[in-house]
Amino acid sequence: MSGLIDSGRADLRAWGRRHAYGLLSSVGTLLRNPLTSALTIAVLAIALMLPLGLNTALVNLENVHDSLDRLDSISVFMDLEVDEEAARRIASQLSSWRDVLAVDPASPAAGMRELAGATGLDAADVGDVPLPWVLEVVPEQAVDTAELAERLGRVERVDMVVVDLDWVRRLDAILEVFGRLVQLLAVLFALSVLFVISNNIRTEIERRKEEIEILALVGATPGYIRRPFLYSGLWMGAGGALLAWLSVHGALMLLRGPVAEVVATYGASAQLAAPSGEMLAMMLAGSGLLGILGAWVAVSRQLARINP
Amino acid sequence: MIRFEHVAKRYPGGVQALSDVNFELERGEMAFLTGHSGAGKSTLLRLIAVLERPSRGQVLFDGKNIGRVSNRQIPRLRRKVGVIFQDHKLLTDRKVLDNVALPLLIAGLSWSEIRRRVRAALDLVGLLDKENTRIPALSGGEQQRVGIARAMIGKPPVLLADEPTGNLDPELSAELMQLLCTLSELGTTVLIATHDLELVRRLGRRTLVLESGSMVDDRAGGQGS
Repeated sequence: MSGLIDSGRADLRAWGRRHAYGLLSSVGTLLRNPLTSALTIAVLAIALMLPLGLNTALVNLENVHDSLDRLDSISVFMDLEVDEEAARRIASQLSSWRDVLAVDPASPAAGMRELAGATGLDAADVGDVPLPWVLEVVPEQAVDTAELAERLGRVERVDMVVVDLDWVRRLDAILEVFGRLVQLLAVLFALSVLFVISNNIRTEIERRKEEIEILALVGATPGYIRRPFLYSGLWMGAGGALLAWLSVHGALMLLRGPVAEVVATYGASAQLAAPSGEMLAMMLAGSGLLGILGAWVAVSRQLARINP
Repeated sequence: MIRFEHVAKRYPGGVQALSDVNFELERGEMAFLTGHSGAGKSTLLRLIAVLERPSRGQVLFDGKNIGRVSNRQIPRLRRKVGVIFQDHKLLTDRKVLDNVALPLLIAGLSWSEIRRRVRAALDLVGLLDKENTRIPALSGGEQQRVGIARAMIGKPPVLLADEPTGNLDPELSAELMQLLCTLSELGTTVLIATHDLELVRRLGRRTLVLESGSMVDDRAGGQGS
């Protein structure tokens, strides 16, 4: 019994050593061909940079979008007979609501100027169109604007509530499309990682055909022969992911200044969000797995040809 | 140890390499396999190392029909057969040490154990000082001896040699034969394919003669000098 356990342990140790030899062999191959390895990793990094860069842009746009939401305002049109005093009274009443940040009453004269400006006509040309008092209500952040608009509509002497959400919705929709595009691109470029690594390993196998044959001749199992190539695939995939992540970080560093200037013209300040450490972990794992998979496909095809 | 029963091998394309070959080698027996080139010597060796499968008949290895084993079992069988190839089959971009170590790396031995056994094997074939030399820097005869060291390092029960003395001078080939004789005395079954009839005659061992794929003679050895 103890003999059995001992031999089990010895088997485990032998298995561990075989893995270690495979790992060392893959590192040796990478180091023996530094230029080829570097080029492959660069190609993979470029392929991964596009979806990662777009995703980073998307994350930043969403941040901007969130801060823009605050700028939505609701236009509350009062009945025509509401005079200035009444309008200001209702305005101060509304501004005490918990989900209202500010209320800005606009007089009919101001409305006339705006209308004239928008149509390109003189105030005199527009003539004597009766305009009501309008209260511009700015909601607090993260308030359901549609629900607030409905409640505002029920307030006495309110004629009509207009929520100009069109452009926010449009931006939402555009971001949605953009997000979907990033996902599609990510799938596409993940496939390209798979193919690049698979093709690279295939070339490597072609170059080491003799070695594979010799290994098989002296009794190496397909697993033993496959292992160094799988490790190579892992190194290339993970290396490409790391380089892509670092490159996007570098690009953001270069963009930081100009973007801050653009943001400043809007009187706001925003921080560019860089891809997170979680993203790096995800990419390392994903790209590494793709590398292993690509290598597996390439090696299995070759190994199938060795056995009689 | 090894037994051929009505073995025939026909390659795709219609070349009949072997037809109805029968013989048996006992454990620890040493024998020569002779015949003109193209007589089927290499094919016969390849069948024992499971590099080919017979078209007909059975090849029994330790009682097991190795022509019918699954692909999964082949590596395990190959580790029991050390093969000295005519064209050496060495990893030309590696050092002597790495080449000889291969079977032990595959077996998963510890590096210190591997080093020890590689040095012992290289000592046996007289290449101890070439441990860290790369293969292309070696002469043909030295490369042949690296192949021999690799074939025997795993202590396989069966050793096959395809023209092992082809590149060796008479003195070295005599030494090699002496080594193979010693191994067979220690229990290794040794089969040597050669057309060096002078060598065969001198050693006076059992000799199998192939001619156009048929076994035409099986002379028992006289155990001469």
